[in-house]
Amino acid sequence: MTFDRRRFAGILAASAAAAATPGFTEAGRALRVGEVVDGGELPAREASWYKKLDEGRVECQLCPQACTVADAERGTCGVRENRGGTYVTLVHSLACSVHADPIEKKPLFHVMPGELALSFATAGCNVECKFCQNWEISQFRPEQVRSIYLPPEALVEAAKRAGAKLTAATYSEPVIFWEYVRDAARAARKAGLAPTVITNGYIQEEPLKEVLPHLSAVKVDLKSFREEFYREQVRGKLEPVLKALEIIRGADVWLEIVVLLIPTLNDSESEVRDLARWVKSNLGADVPVHFTRFHPTYRLTDLPPTPVKILERAWNVARAEGLNYVYLGNLPTHPGENTVCPGCGGVLIRRLGFKILENRLTKGACPDCERVIPGVWD
Amino acid sequence: MTRRWTRRELAAIAGAAAMVGVSDASPGNPSIRRRGVVGLGSLTGDAKGKVDAGAAAAAMDSVLRAATGAADITAAVQGLFKPSDVVGIKLNCLGGSRMSPRPEVVSAFVDCLVAGGLAPERIILFERSSRELERAGFEIRRDGSGPQCYGTDNDYDRQPSVSGAIGSCYARLVSTTCTALVSFGVVKDHDLAGVSASLKNWYGVIHNPNKYHDNQCDPYVADVVRHPFIKEKLRLTVLDGVTAQCHGGPAYRASGVFPLAKLAATTDPVAADLWAWKVIDAERVRRGMSTLEAAGRPPRFIATAARHGLGVGELDELREVEV
Repeated sequence: MTFDRRRFAGILAASAAAAATPGFTEAGRALRVGEVVDGGELPAREASWYKKLDEGRVECQLCPQACTVADAERGTCGVRENRGGTYVTLVHSLACSVHADPIEKKPLFHVMPGELALSFATAGCNVECKFCQNWEISQFRPEQVRSIYLPPEALVEAAKRAGAKLTAATYSEPVIFWEYVRDAARAARKAGLAPTVITNGYIQEEPLKEVLPHLSAVKVDLKSFREEFYREQVRGKLEPVLKALEIIRGADVWLEIVVLLIPTLNDSESEVRDLARWVKSNLGADVPVHFTRFHPTYRLTDLPPTPVKILERAWNVARAEGLNYVYLGNLPTHPGENTVCPGCGGVLIRRLGFKILENRLTKGACPDCERVIPGVWD
Repeated sequence: MTRRWTRRELAAIAGAAAMVGVSDASPGNPSIRRRGVVGLGSLTGDAKGKVDAGAAAAAMDSVLRAATGAADITAAVQGLFKPSDVVGIKLNCLGGSRMSPRPEVVSAFVDCLVAGGLAPERIILFERSSRELERAGFEIRRDGSGPQCYGTDNDYDRQPSVSGAIGSCYARLVSTTCTALVSFGVVKDHDLAGVSASLKNWYGVIHNPNKYHDNQCDPYVADVVRHPFIKEKLRLTVLDGVTAQCHGGPAYRASGVFPLAKLAATTDPVAADLWAWKVIDAERVRRGMSTLEAAGRPPRFIATAARHGLGVGELDELREVEV
């Protein structure tokens, strides 16, 4: 976990501006906005989605893990704890990572190109991907990482000071800090910012539907199109993710999908073809799909980075199946980074990594053939 | 799953092996490890659950000798540990002051180690967090000439270690600092695992135990313990069974607590759990409750641990030595 020093200073300055925001108490003490929480007693507030069971146990109704949690224990996520029959979240407003990123880094390619997103995360995750790139925050509990108390209003102030027009709940897994996501999105909307979420989509229907109206865009990491992969590499299930994708697509919110292609595990041509067909049939051809390059990390250090030819094969297969916007990620300079008009084939947005080199979109349409390109462009 | 070791792990394991010998070879007297043997002594608390220090000392002396077959406490301790060992004693304090190892019983154990020739400053009592230790009545000590006592808090290995199905950063106390380990737990029911006594206590030395509570913690409990960080260093398991809890665990729940009046010690960590399962089920049956198996949560990790060679997994292999 790292804070960007410059941004961190900005956030603390923003904290002063948001000093009117009441902190909440823990162990009889009020937390100050911007206060560093490094171990010690965590703030706690009652979680929003759970059911009380007999004998002091609770059932979490936030994600498909549906943990049954005994008193003094936590769910799989490590951030929700049963305290005497009341389920609490330990991470609301407890940001362990805050940074202003280009929206292209999320990646969301059809959302306000070139703009900054004030990105934030708490510790914890509801699955355990063996290839997690942010495992040093996602696979730890909140008392094990350094965080700051950053309530929604202070987060919005920080975004404004950073010049960000968006917020992004990201890095670890926003589902596990869903109450914070909800409240931050409300505050962002109120301030004229566009709230986004970068998620694994492993969430139950009700909490998803409750928060979607407050969001402008969602990017879902579809880890694979095989249940076996989800079981063995993710410790989750595919089916609930597909359901979440359909719900998001049916809501008034922009959706993009990222698939991290891992050599030998989820990169077969047949799997990519099945995935592309499902997306087209169930979500539509206009949902952007990004195939990104794997780099060895966490528990998957014995596999090489994804060969470029494998990524290109996926790119070609998905386009051949009829998807209109297929991208390649973690491959700077590759033409697969660009947005191309499905009508005339002209390049509309040229990218280099997270930079926008050229944006020819005119009022959300191709300037050559006038085809409307779907997205959130303003 | 293919086992992959980090360079750091290999160095740590090689270092530990060089100091204590590998596999089942205890320092001093290899025969002191006795599969399936659980030494049991009577120990009762007063109305508030407090134990008389003298009674605790006597019971501890007896059960350690029973567990090891040693003629006296010096032989027992020297059979288990070398004077150069740094001995880490993992306490299970999740249950707070009412369902954790009692400080006076732990103190009796530390006194035995010192009487057996270990330097007090080479003994470390630890738990996941200092806060949990304090709540259970222990005083935090990080220096001085006496035994130390503190929480792991955030001091974990920087890289995860893979062992079977788990991938976890182990507490550096376990991976690096200590050359010998003792599990010092209680005897209690666990809502998911079935039993939390001996092996389950080691969930407290990995950074992500919350990831491994599905499928009744099986095979994860065994996978945590069979990592060489623990397997090659674990010498003894002690259970404070003055009171035990047959239902409602792992947190303290008054309605599930009963006076077991036992102190247990064993060099077989799986046998310790077998015994705990047995006494918990006996109390549940006495109360007219279903057994753990009938309740849908038999501690299946016990059989898995036995298959991995961590100890005996069948009741007919359990030998209770009452003193």
